[in-house]
Amino acid sequence: MAVARRTIEPVPAFEAAFAQARERLPGAKLPALADWRQASFARFREQGIPTNRVEAWKYTNVARVVNVPMGLAPKVQVRLDDLAPYLAGGPKARRMIFVNGHVVPELCHIESLPAGLRITSLGKVLEAEPEKVTAILRATAEDDRSFTALNAAFAGSGAWIEVDDGVEVVEPLQLLFLTVGRPEPFMTHPRNVVRLGKGAKLRLIETHAGSGEGQSLTNLVTQIELGPDSALEQDRVELLNDGASHIGKAYVRLADRARLVQTVATLGGGLVRNETEARLDGSNIECLLNGLYLACGKEHVDNLIRVHHEKPASHSDQFYKGVIADRAHAAFAGKIIVHKDAQKTNGYQKNDNLLLSDDAEIDTKPELEIYADDVKCSHGATSGNLDPVALFYLRSRGLERETAESLLTFAFAAEVIERFSDETVRRQVRRVALSRLPGGAALGDLA
Amino acid sequence: MLEIKDLHVEVDGKKIINGLSLEVGAGEVHAIMGPNGSGKSTLAYVLAGREGYEVTKGSITFDGQDLLEMEPEERAAAGVFLAMQYPVEIPGVANMYFLRQAMNAVRKARGQPEIGAAEFMKKLREKARLMGVKDELLKRDLNFGFSGGEKKRNEILQMAMLEPRLCILDETDSGLDIDALRTVADGVNALRDPSRGMIVITHYQRLLDYIVPDRVHVLARGAIQRSGSKELALELEEGGYGALLGPEFAHESASAGAA
Amino acid sequence: MASALDQVREFTGNEYKYGFVTEVEEDRVPQGLNEDIVRQISAKKNEPEWMTEWRLEAYRRWLTMEEPTWQKPKYPPIDYQAISYYAAPVQKERPKSLDEIDPEIRKTYDKLGIPIREQEILAGVAVDYVFDSVSVATTFRKKLEELGIIFCSISEAIQEHPELVRRYLGSVVPQGDNFFAALNSAVFSDGSFVYVPKGVRCPMELSTYFRINAAGTGQFERTLIIADEGAYVSYLEGCTAPQRDENQLHAAVVELVALDEAEIKYSTVQNWYPGDKEGKGGVYNFVTKRGACRGRKSKISWTQVETGSAITWKYPSCILQGDDSVGEFYSVAVTNGHQQADTGTKMIHIGKNTRSRIVAKTISAGLSDSTYRGLVRVMRGAEGARNYTQCDSLLIGDRCGAHTVPYIEVRNRTAKCEHEATTSKISDDQLFYCRSRGIPEEDAVALIVNGFCREVMEELPMEFAVEARKLLGISLEGSVG
Repeated sequence: MAVARRTIEPVPAFEAAFAQARERLPGAKLPALADWRQASFARFREQGIPTNRVEAWKYTNVARVVNVPMGLAPKVQVRLDDLAPYLAGGPKARRMIFVNGHVVPELCHIESLPAGLRITSLGKVLEAEPEKVTAILRATAEDDRSFTALNAAFAGSGAWIEVDDGVEVVEPLQLLFLTVGRPEPFMTHPRNVVRLGKGAKLRLIETHAGSGEGQSLTNLVTQIELGPDSALEQDRVELLNDGASHIGKAYVRLADRARLVQTVATLGGGLVRNETEARLDGSNIECLLNGLYLACGKEHVDNLIRVHHEKPASHSDQFYKGVIADRAHAAFAGKIIVHKDAQKTNGYQKNDNLLLSDDAEIDTKPELEIYADDVKCSHGATSGNLDPVALFYLRSRGLERETAESLLTFAFAAEVIERFSDETVRRQVRRVALSRLPGGAALGDLA
Repeated sequence: MLEIKDLHVEVDGKKIINGLSLEVGAGEVHAIMGPNGSGKSTLAYVLAGREGYEVTKGSITFDGQDLLEMEPEERAAAGVFLAMQYPVEIPGVANMYFLRQAMNAVRKARGQPEIGAAEFMKKLREKARLMGVKDELLKRDLNFGFSGGEKKRNEILQMAMLEPRLCILDETDSGLDIDALRTVADGVNALRDPSRGMIVITHYQRLLDYIVPDRVHVLARGAIQRSGSKELALELEEGGYGALLGPEFAHESASAGAA
Repeated sequence: MASALDQVREFTGNEYKYGFVTEVEEDRVPQGLNEDIVRQISAKKNEPEWMTEWRLEAYRRWLTMEEPTWQKPKYPPIDYQAISYYAAPVQKERPKSLDEIDPEIRKTYDKLGIPIREQEILAGVAVDYVFDSVSVATTFRKKLEELGIIFCSISEAIQEHPELVRRYLGSVVPQGDNFFAALNSAVFSDGSFVYVPKGVRCPMELSTYFRINAAGTGQFERTLIIADEGAYVSYLEGCTAPQRDENQLHAAVVELVALDEAEIKYSTVQNWYPGDKEGKGGVYNFVTKRGACRGRKSKISWTQVETGSAITWKYPSCILQGDDSVGEFYSVAVTNGHQQADTGTKMIHIGKNTRSRIVAKTISAGLSDSTYRGLVRVMRGAEGARNYTQCDSLLIGDRCGAHTVPYIEVRNRTAKCEHEATTSKISDDQLFYCRSRGIPEEDAVALIVNGFCREVMEELPMEFAVEARKLLGISLEGSVG
């Protein structure tokens, strides 16, 4: 009986890369760590690379770009000037800089931190406290996801951020990941860990940028733990090149009364897949997930969100908007899961899309899975073109058709842009968004 | 200035305007009154060039140009301005930013230089004060979350800024209380000028107490049934459409003079 | 006083009032499935060679297929060799008039509340009765014949109108479309056939009542409805089954074809046996229903009220090929006890200015689980396509589940799709208000639920709507108090 396969066997290059990396990774000599990496790699091979027959990957043919021979990321030199366009958070912002997955200590600004704030590289903490750190990293093993297993096999680079109970960090922290293309394809597997204690507060800016030609894969895993009454504002901007594939998953766990505001803008990248899995493991939590994708050329953007309401009386809201032009393809799959006994849940979800070309494609799947009756949940999704009445109104005031269209398209996106918590990020996103919109240059002073 | 000859208009295959003719000269204010469904708003949209209104017969010339051949923005540049009954809300576009874009687009089309930021602000402040539009409203998104009165005042503010030659006011009085009505009327009267024509479309005579027209036309069933001086509006107020146009129009709108 | 929430916790279940067995002599084929059985079924029905071949081809396709597993409801594996694929009440010859129908069968229909005679004459409904596997009687044929309308069992159509059957059978749901459609194509025993000729408006509602009676049988009926250019027909389908311990499989296929400016309205009130309150028994309702709006300005409208079955798993769909064609789907799915439903629709926009509208109301009570699953796909050439979807779920009690899984796939910039969904419960305020006005709680629930479903109920033909409303009340009995 001919049955199409759900997963594909990884190419042998992964094996070779792993054999090469495992000797060099931080803590390679520690047996517990080495065993965990080995087991993770075995799991990756066993799980394989998903095809479109796996529901979560229905609209993204990931194997096409991922299952190709790739080596380990080479270290390259960059100057601070090269990074200037991507810096955000203002002059006082603390900063960690990664180039092709490797932390660049001389470009970082994480010294003289206040008491109760720890910002360091994953490599360092792995060597300093291997047992504690491995135990935390292991939490993602519950997830039956091959890219997470692959990330675990190569785990060793990324940011480690801990904010102690009651510490409110004033200045924002920027994590800047720059991918510099090389002739040979390569991959990186960063893992970021963010832990906020009771009542702690942090503003985090995450920037993924690309320069140069060439194929690369960033296989990112982020673990976020928010203690009771803590608050995290997370702005993420993706400004990648056509040759770059970015596959990321954030595991978020929130305790009572914690607050998360995550805003993501995808403004470039050959293939970008962002996953967020939020577990609302407490009451009176607020979890706000905003996103904007502006896809042009042949770009492919796929957002997948799962929000689990596990306890009563929390609030979640997903607000994603997309503009898809040229031959680009975007997908959105958002899901609210209200578990048994999570009464008094409020869960909302909205995904609106503008298609600017007949060669563009949008696939959206807003989903509700509900097992408690005293809840208020709703979702909405739209796909369409600009409102003809609004277009007429602008033109009747003298704006040319193209200008009016660009303005309305920008206004459509602006609703998400205004939700970024950091003003410098807002400005940056406005500027890049305008540069990507047809006719956006004419609206220059909007940025 | 404006010449409409034997105009016939269909919307979705349905005849709305059937042989309407009207001439508006520079410096004149014409009021068009009529019951619901008589074709008043259709006329306004046809003049401004909204899609979906098919002119099956007749012509409209504006300063000798064929208006029907022009795109909405070309009409705006030529000096046609429609103050809409329901101004469109556009979240994400700041009111002030929009006004400047519109002004510069119109100026560019008219071969005038762009207006500088300082000059623009000066002019905007001045006109806004005149219209009773608060600073805060200028910074907000275009018409988004504005009250009915704020929207109407904002329309007249745009009109003042763009300095059109032909102003069309589509039921600008609807939804306004007496104080708001007076402010809006004052703003409109301030724009009366020997070089400027106006068409004031309204359901009620009330507005015409404040914006006194030179001519009044009664529109029913897609054509002008009667024209006269401003007294015609009062006559209509007294007796309704039936008394004015004959018993076959009596049922058109009993409320015509009731307000 | 206990709150509504406390009261709904106490689930008592309700007895299925259509759960009786009729004692009639049966003619059935041995259990199991192989090429011989397929040939036997075909032979019993005296079918022409092409039909036998068509069935065999379907059977061979089925052998290569995998039973799907993506749906939300889970069920124990079905032993396809333990099913008897053909069971017919023994009849010497087809009845020449309604009076000749086996009195036992007549009694069954009387118990169902659908006496075969006067009543439908009064109601102006022409009815085809499918008892287990074969069509028992078709009323009103003569009157329809005068208009050129063919309304008969599909077995008769194969004999008497082979050109129409060959042309359209499998043209909307091909033999290999899916696992259950392939199975149906191989073994279908009977069903209804309708052809409405050019320009004819069928003056009465056409109706079929399906009933599974025999133990250990599956029911695999096949319905084919063709509305030629400018024709109109409204078709009603009602279903019941006796109460039995084992699960019975119902795997029907319905194909609709609407040519230029034709309109087909297809309404279903499904009330198969849902199983007992422990979740034992009940019908597996795995049905493929699809309509093709082939002609321009054609219209297909599905309306369904699903209250029965242990598992309902179906997606009545529209393929909007013709320019300006319209597809509609109106659905009420009620689950109680241990019932599971995974239902919705697919709207495939191919032609220009095609429009679709989806209104789905899901009500879950008891320990049941209900999913709306729908696909709206706008193809590249579907200029100006429009879709509006509204899905609302109502939960009664805190041990049930309600899910919404829409897929929206758009490849045309001028298309506009809108999807909205909400989930809520019957509020204590609403219940209290009704009760304080003297309405008993159970009636109040029925009242509120009926209000919640009104948009869909309004789509049903009058005489069906009355029945459907009653059914809603019955299905939810015991879900509160």
